[in-house]
Amino acid sequence: MVTKLSKTDRVSGTHMFRRWRRAAVVALAGAAVVLSGCSIQITSQPDPSIGADTMLINADKGNPFFTQNFNPYLTNTRTASRWIYEPLILMNNLDGSLNPWLATEWEQPDARTIVMTLRDDVTWSDGEKFTADDVAFTFQMLKDNPSLDIKGAWQHLETVETDGDTVTLHLQGDDAPALTILGQTMIVPEHLWEDVKDPGTYRNEDPVGTGPFVLGNYNDQQYSVDKNPDYWQADKIDIEHIILPATNSQLDTVSRGYDWSYSFISDVEGTWGAASPDNTWWFPPGGVIALLPNLEVAPFDDVNVRRGIALSLDREEIAETASEGYMEPAGQTGLILPNQEEYLDPEIPDQGMLTQDADAALAAFAEAGYTLEGDRLVGEDGEQLEFAITTANGYSDWTRAAQTVQRQLAEVGVKVSLKLPQPAGYQSAISNGDFEMAIGGMGGGDVYQAYNNLLSSEFYVPSGEATANNFERFRSEEADALLAEYRGTVDTARQAEIVYELQGIVYDQMPVIGLYYGGIWGLFSDAKFTGWPTAEDPYMIPQNYDNAPLMIFTRLERVKEEGQ
Amino acid sequence: MKYVFQKLGLFVLTLWAAITLNFFLPRLMPGSPADAAIAKLSQNGPVSDATRAAIEAQLGVPTGSMWDQYVAYLGQVARLDFGVSYTFYPQSVSSMVSTALPYTIGLVGIVTILAFVIGTLIGVAAAWRRGTWLDSLPTLTGSFLSTFPYFWTALLLLFFFGYVLHWFPTTGAYSATTTPGFTPEFIGDLLLHAILPALTILLTSLGGWIIGMRNAMINTLGEDYITFAEANGLRGRTIALRYAARNAILPNLTGFGLTLGGVVGGSILVEQVFGYPGIGYLLFNAVIGQDYPLMQALFLMITVSVLIANFLVDILYGVLDPRTRR
Repeated sequence: MVTKLSKTDRVSGTHMFRRWRRAAVVALAGAAVVLSGCSIQITSQPDPSIGADTMLINADKGNPFFTQNFNPYLTNTRTASRWIYEPLILMNNLDGSLNPWLATEWEQPDARTIVMTLRDDVTWSDGEKFTADDVAFTFQMLKDNPSLDIKGAWQHLETVETDGDTVTLHLQGDDAPALTILGQTMIVPEHLWEDVKDPGTYRNEDPVGTGPFVLGNYNDQQYSVDKNPDYWQADKIDIEHIILPATNSQLDTVSRGYDWSYSFISDVEGTWGAASPDNTWWFPPGGVIALLPNLEVAPFDDVNVRRGIALSLDREEIAETASEGYMEPAGQTGLILPNQEEYLDPEIPDQGMLTQDADAALAAFAEAGYTLEGDRLVGEDGEQLEFAITTANGYSDWTRAAQTVQRQLAEVGVKVSLKLPQPAGYQSAISNGDFEMAIGGMGGGDVYQAYNNLLSSEFYVPSGEATANNFERFRSEEADALLAEYRGTVDTARQAEIVYELQGIVYDQMPVIGLYYGGIWGLFSDAKFTGWPTAEDPYMIPQNYDNAPLMIFTRLERVKEEGQ
Repeated sequence: MKYVFQKLGLFVLTLWAAITLNFFLPRLMPGSPADAAIAKLSQNGPVSDATRAAIEAQLGVPTGSMWDQYVAYLGQVARLDFGVSYTFYPQSVSSMVSTALPYTIGLVGIVTILAFVIGTLIGVAAAWRRGTWLDSLPTLTGSFLSTFPYFWTALLLLFFFGYVLHWFPTTGAYSATTTPGFTPEFIGDLLLHAILPALTILLTSLGGWIIGMRNAMINTLGEDYITFAEANGLRGRTIALRYAARNAILPNLTGFGLTLGGVVGGSILVEQVFGYPGIGYLLFNAVIGQDYPLMQALFLMITVSVLIANFLVDILYGVLDPRTRR
């Protein structure tokens, strides 16, 4: 034994060499594993136990701790609760168009009254008949529990009156556009919810709704919903079951054989597209990503500075870098084209699109007293124009956009730095006006609401106090008057004129500077179901959360197998 | 006894400091939980002021002075009442923690014990057979694997065995189609889901135990009493295990105590990669959602378990090595 111990004291040269050779072999094997990984194509591997009548959706994502919460008004509700309960009117957020849903028709005899006629062949999934009392009950419950009033119905409503199958909504004032908000209220059954003690924390584990689906199996890894055989348009629903797993990574999205996914995905053609020949996608624009200058911070209070910045930017490049080329650059009207083309003022040149023009930019800066000295844009006090852009950490497309803006502004001598707080910190910064310039989203959905959120001085508070909208802190009597007039009229022709004038304000005064469109990332598979919304037939926004799927489910058709 | 009381006093003081820090740290972060929820919503489109108001009403905004909040918080901690989770509203924090804890203890706990036992035994063998392949192979592969960032190992395993070869499930703790319960089917499924994350933790932590034990053991092997035992003609195995390993294991045992304390915190990145519903993943979600109540409960749990482990290791050391008590 003693000899054995002393043996190691003379580790020979050849032994050392062997050690290294072994280490090298291990390292090479590891490297081979890593490299070969790069060239392997992931393909979609649908679970064979999922039938042809069953849809797999990644709508409820990112969370391994499912809670059985089907209260459709809570922040943490399960996605499918919005397919179990239905709204009165179903809005297509792409263009703001309204579809009759639980209400078959509506009229506005004047700007402070809405009269809705309810569908009369609707039953709750427990067999009880759906009535106007359910609607009145729902509105009353939202009034009694402001924490559930997520659409803000009672900021507009005065009273609710029912008569047979009509519901009359009396508004607090002239408020014609309130229709889009009140119409989106999801209705719950009075006969079950009237006994709920505290709807604000009620988890509603066994939901009973009017929608196309009822809850099937539930466990904390996934749940399923089954077709409601008594649904009022059951003949249009070809899907028997929908499965919603609890966790979805990007790799899962591509490999698990989803019928419908919603996810931004790099190189969609090489990933989602290559995973299966049946995979398609549609990425329509859903909002405008813009620079929000804090108008209370000099020099952004000067429109010439804002114009100078707007004219310095190459939006093609920003859109390309930020969205990997999936999204188009956005114009300066706040409208989303082509979705909202019908609202566009034909007088505005180039559909509101601004092009990069260094000379015009410098001329605008000069109006504000900034001149180019060497490679620095200098103000009258001799200081370089310099500011910080705030965006949220982890929103990588916004960050890339901010970096591109930073580089492009450097070319005209403006020095830009970036601030990247966590999302909550970002939200708090823009609410409280604690920023110089920020990246943010605007627009989409109802045109009036979009302009109201952007421009109304109702949301104005000085920097340092929190607001929910109008983060740039814009104030204009002209805009306020137009918004008020819009609320007061039910004349659609006049409303259209007002929208022209509002986009003129955004175009001329540049309270925000449009950059590119934010995308809606609809990924579909045609293997089992066809009829998805497309650019040619944009009947609904292709998102698989909220109420939008209600419409899409009615349009989908089962692919018939050969011989059937 | 004086030694134990000293350590106990230190334990209580550290505990109070941890509880207090735990109160202030989340409150120093910018933005409220409602801000986090709204930021998440606003990625899908502008959020109306009504929605903001409703969310604030649901989640609540902290009220009262910092001092009042602190006193209320201490009372809650004493009652082990951590309130309602924001991100999993309206679930209570304690229900979320009790859902996640068994997965973490089951996965990280068992694997940590396994890694310690296997690694230590290999370390003993390696030291005993110094210079042979039994030494160099495990020592080299062990140290090589432990130089990988462990989430990278996790990603590699996930990619190959999950997505390319389809041998193992890629996410979750059990298949959605099996019903939880004490059935062979469910337990098999549970194990199948645990293999890849377990392998990740095992592979990346084994090296440390091997090398630690091997080096301590080599030192011990040089001691006179080993030579004396050898001269007396005792069996090799007896010398290795009863004389050398027993003395050499002390540092590894300390490390083990501390690692075991950290088990409660789970393995954030591994659980994240495999979508494994343990404490680590819960903590990740809590931080992302600025879920103060959940974060506080989890941090506290982790701190307390590490403190207790520390305390026990201290006491154990005092027993095993009287010199520390001086």
